[in-house]
Amino acid sequence: METVDREARQEAFEREALVHLDELLGLALRLTGGDEARSEDLVQTTCLRAWERWGQYQAGTNCRAWLMTILRHAFINEYHSRRRAPTAVDYDDVGERSVFEELGPEDPESRFFEHLVDDRITAAIDALPEEFRVAVVLSDLQGLSYPEVAEALDVPVGTVKSRLHRARRRLQSELYDYARETGIVS
Amino acid sequence: MIAPGNHDDDRSSRPGGGEISCREALDRVYEYLDGELGPEWTERVDRHIEVCRRCWPRFDLERRFIRHIRERGFVPARSRRLEQRIRTLLWNDTGESAP
Repeated sequence: METVDREARQEAFEREALVHLDELLGLALRLTGGDEARSEDLVQTTCLRAWERWGQYQAGTNCRAWLMTILRHAFINEYHSRRRAPTAVDYDDVGERSVFEELGPEDPESRFFEHLVDDRITAAIDALPEEFRVAVVLSDLQGLSYPEVAEALDVPVGTVKSRLHRARRRLQSELYDYARETGIVS
Repeated sequence: MIAPGNHDDDRSSRPGGGEISCREALDRVYEYLDGELGPEWTERVDRHIEVCRRCWPRFDLERRFIRHIRERGFVPARSRRLEQRIRTLLWNDTGESAP
């Protein structure tokens, strides 16, 4: 009987949880800036932890969101333990002026980003300094509020605002440079 | 270079009865778009961009840009090696430790 029960639970886990592996890996890659080995470890940790807690999961609720939360927590734990001291992020304003300000919003080229392929966007996110990248991923890709990001990263809300602001400016600037280099805009 | 679309604190561009400058609005663009600004400032920015012909397009572009990042930045990734590894760990080795 026990074997049958275990098989049924395994099947449910496969059906409800493991179908999200690709999305979990996608999230892990953005959080780690494209580090495949770390991302795979994070997904593995997430799945093992989810299976350990499978008894607490209520069937039919949002399994994807539950798994994403486990992965975020695993990443954030690792992020805090790995950081001995704050990284020296370049906080000056060079290159963080809005591209849209320079272009002029009526310029047709100001919508350059709509012509970029997805892998340019993910590469630009990956290339951000870690503090900025994590803020963007948690806020824009995971939909966390400023206070939630602040709590996760153990920083004041003002720091989250500042990191997001700078991160988005850098993304704009990086993507605009790419669009110019490749002739997407002149 | 200061492009024609630059938004400095140009109070002459402020609408009659408006309370904030272009710069004050633009400094809060992301908080506004993220819904994190709080009701009082949200209303001020609302009132400003409704009538400021220079700020509205800027806000619109920033909004489109963020939406684009949100939609395109998250890309699922497949690794068969990882799938294999996880299934092996879950079902072959530690079945007894399952809840």
